[in-house]
Amino acid sequence: MSKPVVLKSNRYGINLILDDSMEFESLLDCIRERFKDSEGFFKNAKMAISFEGRKLTQEEEFRIVETITDHTSINIICILDNDALREELIRQKIERFEDEQAGKTGEFYKGTLRSGQVLDCETSIVILGDINPGAKVISKGNIVVLGALKGNAYAGANGNEQAFVAALDMDPIQIKIGDVMGRSADKVTGKKRLKKQKVVSEPQVAIVKDGNIYIEPITKGLLNNI
Amino acid sequence: MSEVIVITSGKGGVGKTTTTANVGTGLAQLDKKVVLIDTDIGLRNLDVVMGLENRIVYNLVDVVEGNCRMKQALIKDKRYPNLSLLPSAQTRDKSAVSPEQMIKLIEELREEFDYILLDCPAGIEQGFKNAIAGADRALVVTTPEVSAIRDADRIIGLLGANEVKRTELIVNRLRMDMVKRGDMMNINDVTDILAIDLIGAVPDDEQIVISTNQGEPLVGSDCLAGKAFANICHRILGEEVPFLDLEIKSSVWGKLKEIFKKN
Repeated sequence: MSKPVVLKSNRYGINLILDDSMEFESLLDCIRERFKDSEGFFKNAKMAISFEGRKLTQEEEFRIVETITDHTSINIICILDNDALREELIRQKIERFEDEQAGKTGEFYKGTLRSGQVLDCETSIVILGDINPGAKVISKGNIVVLGALKGNAYAGANGNEQAFVAALDMDPIQIKIGDVMGRSADKVTGKKRLKKQKVVSEPQVAIVKDGNIYIEPITKGLLNNI
Repeated sequence: MSEVIVITSGKGGVGKTTTTANVGTGLAQLDKKVVLIDTDIGLRNLDVVMGLENRIVYNLVDVVEGNCRMKQALIKDKRYPNLSLLPSAQTRDKSAVSPEQMIKLIEELREEFDYILLDCPAGIEQGFKNAIAGADRALVVTTPEVSAIRDADRIIGLLGANEVKRTELIVNRLRMDMVKRGDMMNINDVTDILAIDLIGAVPDDEQIVISTNQGEPLVGSDCLAGKAFANICHRILGEEVPFLDLEIKSSVWGKLKEIFKKN
């Protein structure tokens, strides 16, 4: 049979892993025994305590703390919540806040990104320069390139499909927005290839529509929609 | 004030060694004291292109390891009293030298020479790091091919990250007939992508093959490539030299053909 009470230290103090099936009163006895054993080790220590493995009422928590402080010289400062559900909620809240920030705030980068260079950004990014083939820009928000995008761009890196990638000269190898990936059309082979690339470029923007990436010229109507 | 210039490209076979040999010889012809250092340890060939292979006694690794004095390893070119070569070792590999050792070696040479040219090996590993460690300035050699340009782009990024202050571009092996047909990128296409200053454009020339095989740099000779390299030397010294007109003068017959093609 596994121990009814397990002590684990963490950054703030100790974590008590408690047996779920035992009667509370006998569990309390076990706790008392366990702490008595390690009395010398915890002498006069100040620590936070948290519980795991068993749902405790406020009164039960209080009684455990009382038991510990009565029988040892440990000074318990506070009880930490170790609720996985609440933690998840907090995490989601923080992430949602970060996502919102990513779309709203931005940074500037001046210079050309060359092959092998990666620019990773927590917010949206405006690049004053080119992104050459082999270079990569990753942003949790939007990407705006005041120059040629000839490399890889990954906007909405936290899964936000509302993000967009805009460039004055849009000729990317790959674009990823959220979890949607698009790659450039396969090159036309044959003699006309070099000549064909001489198309006049205009500012374009890449967005996600119906699970696909669309690249369209920047127009007022389109800008209103994103 | 001496200047340390590294000649690099990333991709192999684009003409780093040929460029080093010709630019070095050209600068020596302009009365500058020049030393060429072959940093391609294990795959040396600058000495072959310079025609000085038979005179190697000591090499770069010997100097670094203290087996000889610098003076003993430097090979003076009899044709140009201002020109010396520090050959690389053939029996060792790139790990025989560290960037710190290269910096120390270059500092020693700075006192004596106006220009120190480093012939960089292909790749971005140890050899490359050694070669750029002490450099003030870089000449990036590329050919008008996408693979060479891609590598040059990477190299330019790495040079920037390693704080080489000045980086300039040499487009080598241009074939104007192919450019005209639209089968090869022209100089503007290349500089558009790489976005650094162009310091020279060298046409593809049979004479280059002949000259490297003979171990006699052709800079300053009458052929187009020779003129192009001479111009690069002048531009390195800071002079304004117009770029060569590489257009092929077409014959009357050719012009007639063109007119018919247009219609």
